[in-house]
Amino acid sequence: MTEPRQQRILVVDDDPNLLVVLAEQLRDDGFEVSTARDGQEALRRLEASWPDLIVVDLTMPRMDGLALARQIKAQADLPIIVLSAIDTADSKVRLLDAVAEDYVSKPYHYPELRARIQRVLRRLGDRIPRQSLVLGPKLTLDLHHRNATVDGKEVQLTPTESRLLHALAANLDKVVATETLLARGWSDTEEAEPSYVWVSMRRLRQKIEIDPDHPVHLLTARGVGYRLVQTDDPVR
Amino acid sequence: MTQSADGRPETPAEGRTSGAEAAGDSAGNAQDRGARTRGALSPHNFGLRLSFRVFLTASLIVAAVVPVAVFGGILLEARLDTDDRVVVPLLIAGIVGAALFGVGAAAVAVASLTAPLRRITIAVERVAAGEPGPPIRITGDDELARLAESHNRIAAESQRRNGELAALLSAIAGYSPGQGVEALVAAAESDARRIYGLIDSQILLVDPTTVPLAETIPGDPRPVRTEVRAGREPLGVLTGHLPATRTWERADQDLLELFSNEVGVALRNAELFGRIETQNARLVELDAAKDEFLRSVSHNLQTPLTSIRAYVEQLRSASPEAAGDRRLAIVDEQADRLTRLVRQLLTVTRIEAGVLRSQPEVIAIGPRVRKAWEAIGATGVSFELRDEARGWLAVADPDQLDQVLWALLDNSVKYGGSHGRVEVLVSSDDADDRLRVTIADHGPGVDEADRGRLFARFSRGAGSGSGEGTGLGLYVSRQLLRAMGGELWLEPAGTESGAAFTLWLPGERPGDGS
Repeated sequence: MTEPRQQRILVVDDDPNLLVVLAEQLRDDGFEVSTARDGQEALRRLEASWPDLIVVDLTMPRMDGLALARQIKAQADLPIIVLSAIDTADSKVRLLDAVAEDYVSKPYHYPELRARIQRVLRRLGDRIPRQSLVLGPKLTLDLHHRNATVDGKEVQLTPTESRLLHALAANLDKVVATETLLARGWSDTEEAEPSYVWVSMRRLRQKIEIDPDHPVHLLTARGVGYRLVQTDDPVR
Repeated sequence: MTQSADGRPETPAEGRTSGAEAAGDSAGNAQDRGARTRGALSPHNFGLRLSFRVFLTASLIVAAVVPVAVFGGILLEARLDTDDRVVVPLLIAGIVGAALFGVGAAAVAVASLTAPLRRITIAVERVAAGEPGPPIRITGDDELARLAESHNRIAAESQRRNGELAALLSAIAGYSPGQGVEALVAAAESDARRIYGLIDSQILLVDPTTVPLAETIPGDPRPVRTEVRAGREPLGVLTGHLPATRTWERADQDLLELFSNEVGVALRNAELFGRIETQNARLVELDAAKDEFLRSVSHNLQTPLTSIRAYVEQLRSASPEAAGDRRLAIVDEQADRLTRLVRQLLTVTRIEAGVLRSQPEVIAIGPRVRKAWEAIGATGVSFELRDEARGWLAVADPDQLDQVLWALLDNSVKYGGSHGRVEVLVSSDDADDRLRVTIADHGPGVDEADRGRLFARFSRGAGSGSGEGTGLGLYVSRQLLRAMGGELWLEPAGTESGAAFTLWLPGERPGDGS
């Protein structure tokens, strides 16, 4: 959020009432906003200009949010936040995990949506491999699919865990401050404390380290933060 | 003494003395006849338990020897005086010879008479024991031959009926209510033909009185018929035809009725089974329709609700005056309330559909409880939060935990009485790495009668008035907590008034940044 230029957001939703008010809310907060009523219109807008982030509804006529998100992701790593009514079709939400950065359910609280948008925008510029990131003989991360392969076994990561690892992986072998991790992992409205990071790191080690008590990949920089390292030694 | 069917005094079977009497008695039931037959085979015996053979032998000997002996005695008495030394020995020899001949003849006669009788006895006993042997072969045309012949016939028929009974039982055992009425009727018709050797058979599921009786025409196939009943209720009629040459006796009709009654019961079961199946299918359909309705209603409520909330939020943030406007605050609160209700309904449909999924994150539970309390916007109720587990983090799905807290806090306000005071205690269970949140109110508490069904769907406390609340809060809360690896229960009634609910969640010990 240090860039001087306005950040651009494309909002895609089939409810015109919502489009109007959400666009106004976002503009009031300094974003440059364009809107689209459905997936096809959204794709046409993308031809003209490329936003920093897309907020998309899941259930829309003609092309639903999931199909749109897939088409967009096939072209570029554009952050997508799904804003949708909760549905019983949980499986659909699960499919979203692979394409969406975050999910906000309708009816939303605008401050919460804004906090999520800001959190996603914070990580703009963080670049990690699109496919898998091999950290050692027994650890491979696939953050786009929110999973890790530990000693040959696939381990599912929570959205927060993958956001934290994303921030660490973008700064491989460098210490990332606890405060930074807090800002990447949680949105402002969640009022997270440093202990969230500490406990999450402990849980992550349980998941991705062979010996969690003697980690080799996820190391502590005492009093500062954490760093993720590439090493050929599976244990210390 | 018992009264027989025709009203005559009846003597016990043991007292019967002769076959003639039994034969001449046409009255009496089959059992009675059987008893008499046994009586006829066991002669008078003068009170001694002699076998028929010994008795017959003795009788014949007596019949042969006594006249000779008497005659000889008279002759001897008359002639001994004559001192005829030739005649007397001759006479004595003649008498003795005649007597011996009589004894011998008696022995032969008895042997030839009792041998077939013994064969018949053995055969009858085998039939009685259920192991019929080959037919008895007795030549001639006398009573014994006829007796043997009728035995052979009875044995053959009994064997045939036993076969029919076995076939009938195995056919019945094969009937399953799941087959359906039509298939059962077809199976029973074909079984009836096979078991009873019918030329044709038909089961009509109609009022039996509407099916006319078939006429028996000599030389033509003989019609048979029986009602198909389930207990006393007539279901229909089984009709068919026997080959003209076949005999059809009372016992055959009894067997056919036995079969048709079993078929009747099987048909009734199949009908009931079918009805239950249909009802089940209908219920499943209704249940799915209910879920779909619930899902679509709550889904469709979300769209307008989203706009309402967005516009109210925008209005309230537009100016300081608007932010302080009580009316807008109420619209905002009510929109929130409606949103929570819709979420709860959607959670119910997810639970019912078995697709409830939790995305666990670490959460500081104390602040979360406070936020939930602020969200429900209770007025006039005091709130006290004691956090004895600082630094601990719960592992829970944030949205789902919110739903649980909303429901429990909402309940504590609703049932907390007029001078409401809600107390929440957060504590840790260090041994099991669990966190415990107890939410207590000071209302009338939960009736003993309500405790058992408190966590069931649509269960409302007695104090809730009519229709307030969905009756889903505790049900949904418990299901959500269980999905997150936690639990929810009602604390036993203590000395203090009010209800206290305790929820458990997996917890993480405080971290220290190492």
